Order: sequence, then structure tokens, then C-alpha cells
Amino acid sequence: MLKRLYRWLDLRIGVGEIVEKELTGYLLPRNINEWYSLGSVLLVIFALQVITGMLLMIYYVPDADKAFKSVTFIMNEVPFGWLIRLCHAVGSNMMVAVLILHMLSTLLMGSYKAPRELNWVTGFTLLALVQGISLTGYLAPWSQLSFWATTVATNSASAIPVAGPYLVEFLRGGKLVGPPTLGRFFALHAAVLPVVIAAFIGAHLFLLKRTGISAPPFGREGTATPFEAQQYHYQGHPGGIPFFPNYVLQDLSSISIYFAVFLAVVFFWPGMPFTPDAFVPADPFKTPAHIKPEWYFLANYQTLKIFPSELLGLSVQAAAMTFLALLPFIDRSPERHPLKRPVFLTLVIAGILLWIALSVWGHLS
Amino acid sequence: MENEGRRKFLGVCVAGATAAAAVAAGYPVFRYLAPRTGQGGAAKLVIPAGELKEGDAKFFEFAGSSAVLIKTKTGELVALSAVCTHLGCIVQWVKEKQQFLCPCHGGQFSTDGSVLGGPPPRPLAKIPLTVTEGNITIG
Ligand code: FES
Repeated sequence: MLKRLYRWLDLRIGVGEIVEKELTGYLLPRNINEWYSLGSVLLVIFALQVITGMLLMIYYVPDADKAFKSVTFIMNEVPFGWLIRLCHAVGSNMMVAVLILHMLSTLLMGSYKAPRELNWVTGFTLLALVQGISLTGYLAPWSQLSFWATTVATNSASAIPVAGPYLVEFLRGGKLVGPPTLGRFFALHAAVLPVVIAAFIGAHLFLLKRTGISAPPFGREGTATPFEAQQYHYQGHPGGIPFFPNYVLQDLSSISIYFAVFLAVVFFWPGMPFTPDAFVPADPFKTPAHIKPEWYFLANYQTLKIFPSELLGLSVQAAAMTFLALLPFIDRSPERHPLKRPVFLTLVIAGILLWIALSVWGHLS
Repeated sequence: MENEGRRKFLGVCVAGATAAAAVAAGYPVFRYLAPRTGQGGAAKLVIPAGELKEGDAKFFEFAGSSAVLIKTKTGELVALSAVCTHLGCIVQWVKEKQQFLCPCHGGQFSTDGSVLGGPPPRPLAKIPLTVTEGNITIG
């Protein structure tokens, strides 16, 4: 039956050719490692976020008067509503975490270097977009946490000279966070950003296909692949391992490990994405004590607190982000092995430690 | 040969585990989407008899659907399903003619629900009612 369907399709659109080219005939470097499978994990997470998001939309009402109630209804009344919502909330946290790991592996293996600058830039844009979709989704339940986190986040734009105050009002759709804010944030969260993210994922994968997988700088031959070509050149890996079935198995085991962690959080630590303020409906007249952003924004939050002027704090962050985004254009040496790039390695480790320290500080203060 | 058997066994295990995972993920989604039970409305409804004048009709929700109660010119009380038996529109009460008219395709029904004209194939369903001390209990 399946064979006949395959035959039928193959006669019409040449499925066999695609399978041959992309799956079985597609060779990966022999020394490819686990870290390369994080991209597949991220694709699965994104798909899961889209599916659970669509399911949530069935019962969620994006209206300031009804949003909190509808979320409570999903959590308490709808069969398995808690599961769908927890998967969505935990999934968003895990997406940021895996994204960071994916970027770290790219950094350490130097895969952002020429000719893969565009891959890094699209990937970096994806990080910013994911942060954006997390922030806009945060407002959706219209809880105290949502309300005040959004108030603080949108407020930071006011530090920008001249245009700042107007920009804040524009973001919020009013002087304060209120029903108009929910409307625009919901549209961004559920319609605009998913499409933009999907488009960037498409571009990211397209670029990956065009340049070919980079060989890890570890182990065997072919570690350094200096880029001096005057012409477009696809990096093939003769003598490598086929994507299917060899690397698919690695992808699947990474995805399984991911699911084990993900479901463990969903079932055994359901409070992870929430603080007590997440269970109180938004009240514009009462700011709860110690309002804090999500863990991945804690470092940014702390930076804003350290610097005496908000503008300075924002500029430092913007500078750090721009530096990271343009990294492949700044770091031009062809060497990719992390141990042979001591300055770079020190900087990366120092950067990570700084980020962790700022986050912990932000969490404790 | 032995290898072949091993491969087959592992294949069956993988297929089984995949199927189990699919059910484990599919069941919650199915239950999440399934219509909410116990929202059909009350199975019994009490209406004070004084609410209805002779020749009038009162529409209400009954057991999750639309129903109508009329008091004929002769003072008789009738409760009917208001759902047209043709394609499911809600019939209207035409007071002057003392009959029901379906706005969708012009079906006509008499006060006891029988078809007077138009495409409806069956009379409107009757709903039993009892009158006790000025209260009309429907259902
Ligand atoms: S639905 Fe009533 S006449 Fe067609």
C-alpha cells in the first residue's frame, strides 16, 4: 500500500530523487557530533509551540476583561487544558534555553565563520524574534505578572532620547498598559511573529543547504576549511556519513532526550514558568512587590539597574547585541578550533560567566 | 538469519512505542477538543402560566436546542421544538394567521406542529408539558 503510494508520487513528482539527494545521498562530515542535532530539536520545539498555541486559541479570549478568566478556564475546566497550556509555557522557556545552547555550539566550533556569516545573522535575528514572541506572549494571560512585566519592559524604551516617550505610548497603544496593549501584543504574538519566525527559519535552512554543513573542528581531517573561494562553492563531504539513517538516529535521540527533560518539567515542576503573581488578575492600581522578568531577561534587567542612566544601560546592551550579531564580520581568522583561539575562548567564557552572574544577581536582588 | 529476527523484533518495538506515544499525545488533544458535556441546558423548565396571553408564543432554550410554547385562541397549551424539520432553521410565529412560518424555505406548520405547506417532511416535534397551579412544567 505505502509502496504503491510512493510509486504513484514518484512517477509524478520524482520523490525518489529528493530522498536520494536530501536523505540517503546527503553526506555529513564523519566527525559530526551531537551538537549539530540541536537545530532539529529547535524545529520540533517550534512546531510544538505552534500546535499548542493553536489549541490554546480555541478557548483563550484576547480581551482584557476575559483573558484571565479564559486562561483559568483552560487550566481548571477544559479536559487536559492544563497540559496544553503548560506545554506552551514550558516550551517557550525551553526554546530559549536550547537556542542559547545551539548558538554556543556554533560559537565554540566557529561555524559562524565565512562563508556562513549569513547563517549566523539569520540565526541571531531568530534569537531576537524568539525573545519578542516570548515577551508578547507573556502579556496574554493578563495576570499581575503579565501586566507589570510588560509595563516595565515597554517602559525601558522611554530611555531613548526625544522619541522615547512617544515610542512607549506607541508600543502600548496608550499612556499605560491596558486593553489596547493586549490587542496589539496578541496580534504580534499569534499572527505576525510566528510568520516572521517561520520565514527566518526557512531562510536559515536554505542557507544551510546552500553552503553545506560545516565540518566540526575536532578530531579527524578537514578541520580547518579556510574560505578563499572567488566563486560560490558548496561544501560537500565525500566519504562522510549519510543523513538517513545515520544522523537521523542522532537527531531522534537528541529529540527524545529533549522530550524527557521537557515532560519532566511539565509534570514534576509545573510551577517553573510561573511566580505567584501569575495567578492574580492584572490590577493597574496595584504593583506587586519584586516584579521580575523571565530568567533569560534577568541579565538585561540587572544591567538596567546597575547603570545610573537608563540610556547608558540600554546602549551597553544594544552594543553587546550588535557586537554579537556582527561577530562573523569582526572575527575573520580562519582558525576554528576553540583551543587554538585562546583569546576568543577566554572572551566567550568570560561573557558566559558575566551573563550568569548578572542573571543570578538580578534574581537575588 | 538471527540478525534478521532481531531487526524485525526491534522494528515491532519501535512501531509499538511510536503508536503508544501517538495515543498518549493524541488522547489529551482529543479530550481537549471534544465538546463539553453537561452544557445542554436544563431538561425540565418551569414557566409561570400567567406569562403567556392567548394567541401568543414564547421561545426558549430547551435541552440545548430551541423550543416554543404557544397558547392557542382556544386556550390550549402546546410545546414544540422550534427547529424546522427541513434544514434546521428556527420557525417564526405568525400571530395573525396562528401558524408557524419557516423563514428559510417557506415551510408552514399549524399550532399542533403538523406541516401545512412547503418542503418540511415531518411535523415539528412535540414536547410534553404539565400544568400545575399556574405553573407550566415543560419536559
Ligand atoms: S429549513 Fe425550514 S423550510 Fe427549509
